Amino acid sequence: MSVSTEWRTHVAGEEGERHELERAWSERGGIAGWFSVTTHQAIGKRYIITAFIFLLLGGIEALLMRLQLARPDNGVLGPEKYNQIFTMHGTTMMFLFAVPMMEGMGVYLVPLMLGTRNVVFPRLNAFGYWMYLAGGLLLYGAAFSNTMPAAGWFSYTPLSGPQYSAGKGVDVWAQMITFTEISAMCVAAELIVTIFRLRAPGMSLARIPLFCWSMLIQSFMVIFAMPAVMLASTVLLLNDRTIGTHFVNPAEGGDPLLYQHIFWFFGHPEVYIIFIPALGMVSSLIEAHARRGVFGYPAVVLSMVANGFIAFGLWVHHMFATGLPQIAEAYFTAASMMIGITSAVQIFCWIATLWTGRLRLSAALHFVFGFIFIFVLGGMTGIMLASIPLDLQVHDTFFVVAHFHYVLIGGALFPLFGAFHHWFPKFTGRMIDERIGKVTFWILFTGFNLTFFPMHVLGLHGMARRIYTYPAEMGWGPANLLATIGAFTIALGGIIFMINVVRSMRAGAPASEDPWEAGTLEWAASSPPQNYNFVHLPVVGARYPLWADAAERAVVTGMRSDRREVLVTSGMEAEPEHRLVLPRSTPWPFLAALGFTIGLVGSVFSFSWYFISAALGAIGLIGWFWPHQPVEIDP
Amino acid sequence: MRARTAALALAAAGGCGTSNQSALDPAGAQSQGIAALWWFFLTLLGAIFVIVMVMTLLPLLRGPRNAGEPRLTRVVGGVSVVTLLLLFGLVIVSVITGRATAGNTPPGRHLAVEVTGNQWWWAVRYLNDDPSRIVVTANEIHVPVGTPVLIRGLSNDVIHSFWIPNLQGKRDLIPSRITTEWFEADKPGRYRGQCAEFCGLQHAHMALWVVAEPPEQFEAWMEHQLQPAAAPPDALTRRGGEVFLSHACVLCHAISGTAAAGQVGPDLTHLASRLTIAAGTLPNNKGNLAGWITDPQSIKPGNHMATVPLEPEDLQALLAYLETLR
Amino acid sequence: MTPASALDVGRLRPYEISNRAPLWWGQVILCAIEGSMFCILIAIYFYLRLRVDVWPPRGARLPDAAIASWALAPLILSMAGSYMASEAAKKDSRGGMIFGLAANLLLAGVFLVLRYLDWRGLNFNWASDAHGTVVWTILFLHTFDVVADLLMTLVLMIIIASGRYGPKQRLGVHVDSVVWYFLVAIWLPLYAVIVWAPRILGGGQ
Repeated sequence: MSVSTEWRTHVAGEEGERHELERAWSERGGIAGWFSVTTHQAIGKRYIITAFIFLLLGGIEALLMRLQLARPDNGVLGPEKYNQIFTMHGTTMMFLFAVPMMEGMGVYLVPLMLGTRNVVFPRLNAFGYWMYLAGGLLLYGAAFSNTMPAAGWFSYTPLSGPQYSAGKGVDVWAQMITFTEISAMCVAAELIVTIFRLRAPGMSLARIPLFCWSMLIQSFMVIFAMPAVMLASTVLLLNDRTIGTHFVNPAEGGDPLLYQHIFWFFGHPEVYIIFIPALGMVSSLIEAHARRGVFGYPAVVLSMVANGFIAFGLWVHHMFATGLPQIAEAYFTAASMMIGITSAVQIFCWIATLWTGRLRLSAALHFVFGFIFIFVLGGMTGIMLASIPLDLQVHDTFFVVAHFHYVLIGGALFPLFGAFHHWFPKFTGRMIDERIGKVTFWILFTGFNLTFFPMHVLGLHGMARRIYTYPAEMGWGPANLLATIGAFTIALGGIIFMINVVRSMRAGAPASEDPWEAGTLEWAASSPPQNYNFVHLPVVGARYPLWADAAERAVVTGMRSDRREVLVTSGMEAEPEHRLVLPRSTPWPFLAALGFTIGLVGSVFSFSWYFISAALGAIGLIGWFWPHQPVEIDP
Repeated sequence: MRARTAALALAAAGGCGTSNQSALDPAGAQSQGIAALWWFFLTLLGAIFVIVMVMTLLPLLRGPRNAGEPRLTRVVGGVSVVTLLLLFGLVIVSVITGRATAGNTPPGRHLAVEVTGNQWWWAVRYLNDDPSRIVVTANEIHVPVGTPVLIRGLSNDVIHSFWIPNLQGKRDLIPSRITTEWFEADKPGRYRGQCAEFCGLQHAHMALWVVAEPPEQFEAWMEHQLQPAAAPPDALTRRGGEVFLSHACVLCHAISGTAAAGQVGPDLTHLASRLTIAAGTLPNNKGNLAGWITDPQSIKPGNHMATVPLEPEDLQALLAYLETLR
Repeated sequence: MTPASALDVGRLRPYEISNRAPLWWGQVILCAIEGSMFCILIAIYFYLRLRVDVWPPRGARLPDAAIASWALAPLILSMAGSYMASEAAKKDSRGGMIFGLAANLLLAGVFLVLRYLDWRGLNFNWASDAHGTVVWTILFLHTFDVVADLLMTLVLMIIIASGRYGPKQRLGVHVDSVVWYFLVAIWLPLYAVIVWAPRILGGGQ
C-alpha cells in the first residue's frame, strides 16, 4: 500500500467513532431541516448552485443584448429595455454571481483543505447564505414585476438620482447591494478566523494551500472594501433618492463625483475580490495536474498580498475623464500599471511550475492554459488603460468592455470552470467526463475570443458602450455580428457543460478520495466528504501532506465524537490551544435573515422600515444567541 | 504610412470602413500623439504577450525539464525585475505623452467654445469678451485648422462626455463643475463624435460633428452664424414662421431675430446650415426633418421633444421656413 | 491500523474565554467593518467641507461643543463597566458580570440622554444641506450601533441574571466589551470631526 493510502486508511478510523460522528453531524431532515443546515459543505454547495443560476440569468441577459447589437438600427430591444437589461446583466454578474460563487467555493473547500470539520461560525455561514438569496430574490422579484434599475451596474449620479431615474428600480438595486454585501462580510469574517485558528496542528501559515491564502487575502479585502459600497448605494444614493439628503446633490453642496469616488473605492478592490480566489484555484489546479507544488510559494503569497493592498490605491483610474489634478493622474497611472507586477510574478511562477512538472492534460489543465492566454491578454489591455492618454480615447467604449471581460472571464471564469472539472469528484463522488470537458473548453475558448476580441477594434473605431443601437454607416455591423455569434457559441459551451455535469453525476465513474493524486488535505476526505470531513483530524508536517513521508503522518485523538467539536490552533504555527463545540442544525439564522429581509425590502419604500428591520432582526438574533439546554460543556 | 496600413488592416478585421470616429485616424496633434502611443504600447505589449504564451505552451511540447530551484529562482527573479522596469518605463512614457496631449490649458491664442451637455443634445457657445460676438448653436462645432480650440464643458442635467476621437480624448461634462480640454485640428475635415458617458434613454443618439475648416472659411462661417435669421422671403415661408411662433416650438427653441427665445432645446437660428438633426441622428434634409417634427418619439424614443400635431399644410410651410434658416 | 503518531488533545478545554477565543476575533472583524465605514464617512465630511468656503452653510449652527464634550465622560466611564463584566466572565463571577453590565448600561444610558439633548439642539436636519446630511448620517449610524450593542448587552444581562448560562454565554459577555470599546473609541475621532474640525478650519459665519 502506498503511504497516503495507509494514512487515509487510518484516518478512516474505527466504526464506533464513525457512527458517533455521523449522528452528531447529521442534519435534520424535512423542510424544517432544510432551513436549519449549518454544515459548510451544504452551504457551500447552495452558494455555488445559486450563483450558477445567476450566471445563467446574466448570460441570458447578455444574449439579449447581443441580439439587439447584432445589426445596426435593430429593433429587438428598445432603449428602455436595453438599458434595463445591460444594468441587470452587470449587476447580476458582479454581485449575484462572481463574488458569491468564489465565496461558495471557499466555504466548501477551505475547511477541507485546512483539515477541520466546519467553518468556525456555522450559523453565521447559514445566515450569510440566506441574505444572499434574499438579495437575489429581491432584484429578480422586482424585475419580474417590471421594476428594474436602468442606470448601469454602478449607477452614476445624477442619472441614478431622484430626478432622472424615477420609480423604484434604482432603489431596489441599492438595497440588493446591502444583502449581498452583508453576505460577503459574513463569509469573509468566518473565513479569516477559520483560516487563522482552525488549521490542522502543524499546518503553519507557510504550509497552508495557496487557495486558502487567496481566500484569506480576499476576505480582508471584503472587510475593508464592502463598507464603501454600502455607503455609496444605501447611504449616498438611496437616501438622496428617498429622504432628501444632499450627498450628491450639487444644489445644496453635494457632489456627483463623491459617489464615483466612494463607489470605485469599493469597485476596484471588488474585481480583485473576484480575481484573487481564482488565482488560488489556478495554483491548486496546476499543483495537482503538474504533479508538483507551485514554484516560488513565498513569491506567490507575497504577490497576492501585495495585490490585495495595491488594489485599494487604484480606484481613480475609473475617473480619468473627469478632469483630475495632474499629480493625482500620475500617481494613479503608476499604481495601476505597477499592480501588473503582482500578477506577472504569479504567472512566471506558474510557468516555471509547468516547465518542471509532469503535466496531466486534463480538462482542468486546459482551462488553466485558457486562463493564462485570456487573462494575460486582458492584463495587457489593462496596462494600456492605465495610461491616461490611451484611456481618454478608449474609456467608456467597447475597448473597455473587451478588457474587463478578458480579465474577468479569463481571470475568474476560466479558473472556475477548471475548478469545477477538478473538484467535481470531490463534490459529487463521480468523475466528470474528461473528453466532454475538453470539448467544453474549446467551445468556450473559441466563443469567448470570437465575442470579445472584435470589441477592442470596435472601441478604437469609436463605438461607445451602453448604446442600444448604432447607425449602419459607422461600419460597426460586421464586428458586432461576429461578437453575437461568439456569444451564442459561449452559450453552447455552457449548455454542454451542464449536460456533462448532469450525465456525470448520474452515471460517471465512481471517484476515489484522490483521483488526481494531489497533495492537499481535501483529497484525504471521502468523495464526497462526510459532514464531519475526517474521522480523525489530521496532523501535518509538510505543505503537501498527502505527498509527504509516512513518518510525517499523524492524527489528532482525544476529541469528542458525540458532539460537533473542532480544534482551535494558534495563528502562526497551528499548535493546539483548545477545543471548540460548534452548534448543530438550527433555524435561527434563517429566521434572523428573514427578519432583516422583511425590513430591508420595506426600506426600499420607506425609511422607517429600517427600524422594523432592526427590530425583527434583533428578535432573530436573540433567538440565535438564547441559551439552549444544556448550557454546560463537559470536557 | 505603416500606421495607416495597420489601421486599415484592423478596420478590415473589424469590418469597419469609416474613419471619422476613429482614434486610429488622427486629424490633430493631440490625437496623433495618442495614436502613436497606442501603436507603441500595442507593439511592445503584443510582443510580450507572444513571448509569455510561447513560454507557457512550450511545456506541452516538451516533457518536464529538470531545473534546480536556484536556477528557476534566478530566471523568475530576473524576468520579474525586467517586467517591473518595463512597467515603470511605460508609466514614464504615458505621463510624458499625457502632458503633451492633454493639458488643461492651451497655448496663448486659442478659440474658446463652451459645450453644455443636455439629455440628449449638445449646446454650443463660442465664448467672446464681446457679448455681441457670441455664437450660439447646437450639435455642430466649426473650428479653424491650425488654431487651438479650448472646450469648456458643462452639463445641465446628468454626466455626459464630450468625445471626438479623431481629434482628442474624451472629457466628462459634470453638472456643477467645469471641465476643460483642448485640441487642434491640423487638416480640414468632418469629424464625428458622440456622448461617451451613459446618460439615459437616448445616450446612443447623442452625436455631434466637428467641422475643421481653413481659417478664412471658418471666419466666414462665424460671421454668418452671428447674423440673425433672415426674414422669410415669400408667403409660404412667412406662414411657416407663423406656424413656428404659434405652436409649442417656441417653448423650447430660439430663433435669433424672431420672438422665439426658448432655451430648453437647441437653438435653430441656422438650422439649415447643419449637417445633421437630432444630435447627429439623421442627415439634415426635408424628409428627415418632416419625420422628426411629426414624431420625434419614433426616432429617439424617450427624448424630451414634444410631439406637436400639425396640419399637413402647416407642416409644409414650417419645413419651407426652416429651410430658409441657413 | 495504528498511525505513526497521535496527538492527544483530550486535556484541552472545550471552550475558551479570553481574547484567544475565535468569537473575540470575529467581533474585532465586525469592528473593522464598522470602523472602515466610519473612516469613509470622515473622508466624506472633509470632501464636502473642502469644496466650499462657507461651512457650515449659512443659517446652520455647529453642534454644541459643551454638551457633546460633557457626554464623553459617561461614555468613557461606561467602559469600566464593560471591563468589569468582561473580567468577571473569565472568572465566572455572576455578580461581577451583572454589576459590570448594569454599570455599563447605566452610564451608556446617561450618554444617550446627553446625545439626545445635543441632537435635539441642532437647527438643521439631514435634508437641509450637505453639512446637515453628513452630520446627521454620522450621528444616526453611530447611535444606531450604540443602541444595538446596548440591546445586546441588556439581553446578556438578563440571561446571566436568570442563572441559565454556561461558558458560551460567558464568552458572549466577554466579547461584548470589544464592541463597546470600539464604539467608544470610534466616537472620539467622529466627535473631533463634527464638533471641532469646522471650528478649527474656520469658514463659518
